[in-house]
Amino acid sequence: MTDITSIAELEKNAELAETGWARFGMHILIFMFIVGGWELLGVFKQLNDLLLPPPSEIGGDFFDMWFVTGRVWWHFFVTMIEATAGFFIGVTIGTSLAVAAAVSPLFRRYLAPYAVAFNVTPGIAVAPLIIAWFGFGWSSKIALATLVCFFSPFINTLTGLLYTDEEATELFRSMRANRTQYFWKLQLPSATPLIVAGLKLALTGALLGAIVAEFFSASEGIGILMQRFAFKLDIGSALATLLSMSLMGLMFFTITEVLDFKLVFWRRDSRMQAISKKRKAAWNTGDE
Amino acid sequence: MSASAEIAVEASPQLGVQHGTTRSEKGWMVTKHIILFIAILSVWEIASRREWIDSLIYPAPSGIVQQIWFIYFEAGTVWVHLGFTFAEALSGLFIGSMIGIALATAAALSLRFREYLKPYIIVVEATPRIAVGPLFIAWLGFGFSSKVALASLVCFFGPFVNTLTGLLNIDQEAEEMFRSMSATKWQTFWGLRVPNSATILMAGLKLGCASAFGGALVAEFISANVGMGVLMARYTYILNMNGAFATLLSITLFAFLLFKFADFVDYHIVYWRSDKLMQGKSIKRKAAFLNGLEGQ
Repeated sequence: MTDITSIAELEKNAELAETGWARFGMHILIFMFIVGGWELLGVFKQLNDLLLPPPSEIGGDFFDMWFVTGRVWWHFFVTMIEATAGFFIGVTIGTSLAVAAAVSPLFRRYLAPYAVAFNVTPGIAVAPLIIAWFGFGWSSKIALATLVCFFSPFINTLTGLLYTDEEATELFRSMRANRTQYFWKLQLPSATPLIVAGLKLALTGALLGAIVAEFFSASEGIGILMQRFAFKLDIGSALATLLSMSLMGLMFFTITEVLDFKLVFWRRDSRMQAISKKRKAAWNTGDE
Repeated sequence: MSASAEIAVEASPQLGVQHGTTRSEKGWMVTKHIILFIAILSVWEIASRREWIDSLIYPAPSGIVQQIWFIYFEAGTVWVHLGFTFAEALSGLFIGSMIGIALATAAALSLRFREYLKPYIIVVEATPRIAVGPLFIAWLGFGFSSKVALASLVCFFGPFVNTLTGLLNIDQEAEEMFRSMSATKWQTFWGLRVPNSATILMAGLKLGCASAFGGALVAEFISANVGMGVLMARYTYILNMNGAFATLLSITLFAFLLFKFADFVDYHIVYWRSDKLMQGKSIKRKAAFLNGLEGQ
């Protein structure tokens, strides 16, 4: 799994001839071109309805699912709950283990081989076992989501906490900071970018885990909904469900971006200046 | 470095446990790990026998070992399944990384293409790609091709993003040097960008390895007749947890072996990271160069 922002920020200095609205217009034009071409193929009966229905049909099914029969709201909600619960549990366990490992070298040394072995196992492969252990209800989906999204926060938090700036550490030590102060004031803040990156990966992973667990055995959830449509060969609805899943994924992505924006404020100049101003104002009023 | 001491790096460098140790120290640490592992296994075994934990759901290690022996050597049922899953994963890896690398190269070469490809890539990344499994099965049927298709979709992203990053993030000064020697765009591409991206490309391929296996397994879970995923699903459904664990351990072992093989390939392709290989190459190239000179 990769970090999406790395693509979005790859080169800030590159310049296209068209900028701003013109570029946006080009995006829209290209999209309409693709969708239009697809629709035309459908009009001229070139498409096999079983394989790839025209976009109008997919759009119709999408509208149907969401607004006419409204059956998809509950499934969407269920999967979102499962993914979020798995995310929170996985992140809590991952970060606490990482903090423990960062603080105690002994614990870290003994945990290391198990962590590496855990990483090597394809987490998805454990799905049937999880179903057998947790049964058919919600808990198995949450458990698989937890399992899949556990590793990123763990390794990222651990790496972030371990690789603190040498000179900053020495500064803290020269000012006689104790372990607690060192941890809360230096280690944790300097690890925040990596931790947040781990959280992003975890959210995607949790969604994936929840959906895969649903394939196995579920009666409700957006994953099983798509599977049912696909196996009924109602490909239009299946693609519409896939679109809904993409929307869910994009929603999660936006949440993590907002989180990144708020927590790791020092990476963006404008945000850093805003926070500085706020703190300066608070400090000044504190003086008075 | 004295002859009697060897510097050893423990476990994974990511976990920050890096320090020099002598051979005897390293041996003692490995022993401690083994003791801890045996202790955990023994507790598990006793708990299972004494029914502290349900022995049906959490099988005893002895049962697992027995099953491993059974499926591998007595009944020999597992080899066919293993072969299929491996073939699916490898084909998926190959196809996925080829497409990923091709798209990334095109994107690196043309700013326009990159810019207009971006939204689609972001959407594809946000979608849980494994979720497309049932759709592929509906499209491609229950056989081999649907598993390969899912595996390629899942492992497409690692090589793509890494190749793109590697091709784009080149050292400014190196690029200026190439330009100052009036290198054409293609010369810059082959001489600078491609070698620069080699390391990160191999890292992407390794990521792809793990994902391809996962994708093939999930496709098999959903519907297949042959493959490790099917085997594991069957064992779980009849509550033969020993067998399920045995299968899981095999999958882990082979995924690990694949990863190690990828490491090996990485070591040899990106030869400039290792002093020994670099020297070997240098000597060979120097000899070839001198031979060429003599021929003139």
